[in-house]
Amino acid sequence: MGRVDVLNGNKAAAWGAKLARADLMAAYPITPQTPLVEYLASFVADGVIDADLVEVESEHSALSVLQGGVLAGARTFTGTSSQGLALMYEPYIRTSTMRLPIVMALVTREVISPQTVWGGQQDAVTVRDAGWIQIWCESSQEILDSIVQAYKIAENKDVLLPVNVCYDGFSLSHMAERVEIPDQEQVDQFLPKPNISHVKLDPNNPIAVDPLTPGPMLTEFRHKQVTAMNVSKKIIEEVRQEWLEMFGRDYGGLIDQYRMEDAEIALVCLGSPAGTARVAIDEMRNHGIKVGMIRIRVLRPFPDEEILKALVNIKAIGVIDRNVSFAKGMGISFLELKTVFGGLKMPPMIDFIGGLGGSDVTMEQIKQAIVITQHVSEGGEFQEVTWFGLDQIDVETLFTMDKDISLKLKGVSG
Amino acid sequence: MGVNDGIRDNTNYSTIPEGARPTLEKNDAFFTKKRFGFIFNEEKKTKEVYKEITKVQDLLSPGNSACLGCHAELALRTTLRILGPNTILAIPPGCMGGIGAVGFNGGAGAKIPVFFPLLDNTAAMLAGIKRKYIREGRGDINVVAFAGDGGTADAGFQSLSGAAERGENIIYICYDNEAYMNTGVQRSGTTPKWSWTQTTPVGEQTQGKSQKGKDMPMIMAQHNIPYVATANPSYMHDYIAKLKKAMKVKNGMSYIHLYSGCPTGWKFPTEKTIEVGKLAVETNLYPLWEYEDGKFRLTHEVLKRRPISEYSKSMQKYSHLTEQNLAELQQNVDANYKRFKKLCKI
Ligand SMILES: Cc1ncc(C[n+]2csc(CCOP(=O)(O)OP(=O)(O)O)c2C)c(N)n1
Ligand code: SF4
Repeated sequence: MGRVDVLNGNKAAAWGAKLARADLMAAYPITPQTPLVEYLASFVADGVIDADLVEVESEHSALSVLQGGVLAGARTFTGTSSQGLALMYEPYIRTSTMRLPIVMALVTREVISPQTVWGGQQDAVTVRDAGWIQIWCESSQEILDSIVQAYKIAENKDVLLPVNVCYDGFSLSHMAERVEIPDQEQVDQFLPKPNISHVKLDPNNPIAVDPLTPGPMLTEFRHKQVTAMNVSKKIIEEVRQEWLEMFGRDYGGLIDQYRMEDAEIALVCLGSPAGTARVAIDEMRNHGIKVGMIRIRVLRPFPDEEILKALVNIKAIGVIDRNVSFAKGMGISFLELKTVFGGLKMPPMIDFIGGLGGSDVTMEQIKQAIVITQHVSEGGEFQEVTWFGLDQIDVETLFTMDKDISLKLKGVSG
Repeated sequence: MGVNDGIRDNTNYSTIPEGARPTLEKNDAFFTKKRFGFIFNEEKKTKEVYKEITKVQDLLSPGNSACLGCHAELALRTTLRILGPNTILAIPPGCMGGIGAVGFNGGAGAKIPVFFPLLDNTAAMLAGIKRKYIREGRGDINVVAFAGDGGTADAGFQSLSGAAERGENIIYICYDNEAYMNTGVQRSGTTPKWSWTQTTPVGEQTQGKSQKGKDMPMIMAQHNIPYVATANPSYMHDYIAKLKKAMKVKNGMSYIHLYSGCPTGWKFPTEKTIEVGKLAVETNLYPLWEYEDGKFRLTHEVLKRRPISEYSKSMQKYSHLTEQNLAELQQNVDANYKRFKKLCKI
């Protein structure tokens, strides 16, 4: 029946890779992913896992070694953050175009410059169109479970795409909590051995992998990649169900909904702020605000239909973004969310940017976001993007809340 | 103005270096038997070795788009014959990938498993392949790179050096045509001093590349891997013997640095590749050696070294050199060779 331990996010990820029986690993240390590399090394040293851990000279080579490994039939694992991801970009984009089912922990972090080593989501959201599936976690338990699930999704013959299991640096990578570690036998039952044959370089069956490919063939190829991405939505849901039945845990499939049944306004978030948001939502409900949350669990493929369905009766949406897009100085989740509505009438949406460079998205900030969103839902004025810490929000007013909350907020800029 | 050997125009593949003067005479008068008789003395050995290798299957597609007279293509074809079908081959971007050795339009360019790594991750990808096959109990598969000098000494150096240090059991062959040829003759880390390339032009201010090239085989020997050798497809018997040794290595990387004459990039007549390659060795510019068990050894003794001017005059990439340049070049070659002979004695 497994056992219970206290694990931080990085150690949970290492356990995930162990339980999935990844047999070729390579990683290069970078904050906040570094402990993950050390856990893997100690697992190998102690014989906890039977894998080849290649101690490479850079992230570029880490992913390259794994690519070679998959071409020989291996199940592979690595992890990185920030500049490591940037250095990896060349093999990174090629992992998806070669349709290699590699699973990689992406311990999200700010990208420099300015010099910073703290959490944020900028690294991961920047590569959201590199053809990888992105699963975003909220807890150590979800990290462990998602890594095992990720192999089942990636290796599905109708998918064959790499998966990033993303978790916010420090907030999740270094925060320890109670985790149930499932039994190996049970995981083995859930996840059969890999059978990767579409790109296997084997002298017994010689093929050329990735030869020169002219335009019309490439167009067809890219189209198939996009199709696989769409198909993965169905597979992610199936894997979710199977996991629920075997292990009794569920995080939602593509999106994770919280108190949305009767919600009038909604928060949308990605990654670690969701935990804080749950508490803030409970509290604000006590004040009579009917707020719910949608946590985007899968950013690629983007769950547009699921989100639209969930938001259909919502009067206003507040989005929390720990990242920015330079399109219009708004967050990525916000930008993506806007595409969901297409030609439909969109409820008012406000973007809250915060938690950059390792700063917290605090309980107060989330409550502010909820209150402002409520205010907007009642027809209040609003500014499309609010930067926590930069834009003036009348905190005083927010903490003496009562039923007339929306009135009191009139005149608050933000 | 190009060189006309009376049969075909050998210069129509790309432009003649700006400022270059034609060095080769009409009707091929440069390479006469009288002048270069020594070159033909090796013929017997060459004939024998071709008798041997043509008995085994040619694993490279017969139709590819290498230039006429390409030394590297000759080397690749022979390499695959020796490696045999139990081989996985990586060819990073560069001429040998570009000629279709990996494949085109969904087709394969070789009869063995073959793929394009990136320009800069060949050694790492091969390491991943080999490690998995070792785990599977199939460590006897040859896992081999055939990479240009750019993919080896410049962009790919980090990954190569890392793999060498970790003792990855792969065979890494670098064909050194002394420039980025696939992208149109730009300087590389191994381009020798004074060479004309598109990015080290001959002009009012510059006379070709002003720096010396990296000595890649020596750098690899300094990684202390089990086997390092230089080779030259004009001495095929020597190369084949070395490749066979490299295939036997089980405790780390083996590295072979192949001199690779390029009629297109260096500007010499397409049918003169073998001769040009021999001149490189017989002038002591490119000694044939191997490094094994921590020891250097010459594998081909040059009995009477030829003056370097014979080599430089065989192609147009050096045609701008003055007598003074040549004297300096000669000094460098002699000094290097002397140093190398000393190394062999240690
Ligand atoms: C990261 C990257 N930068 C640039 C290129 C473009 N590129 C393709 S081949 C090549 C030159 C390769 O030169 P070399 O390895 O010497 O091989 P050759 O063409 O001489 O056979 C370059 C620069 C690339 N493929 N990848
Ligand atoms: S450019 Fe030179 S190296 Fe490239 S295919 Fe032609 S002859 Fe060979």
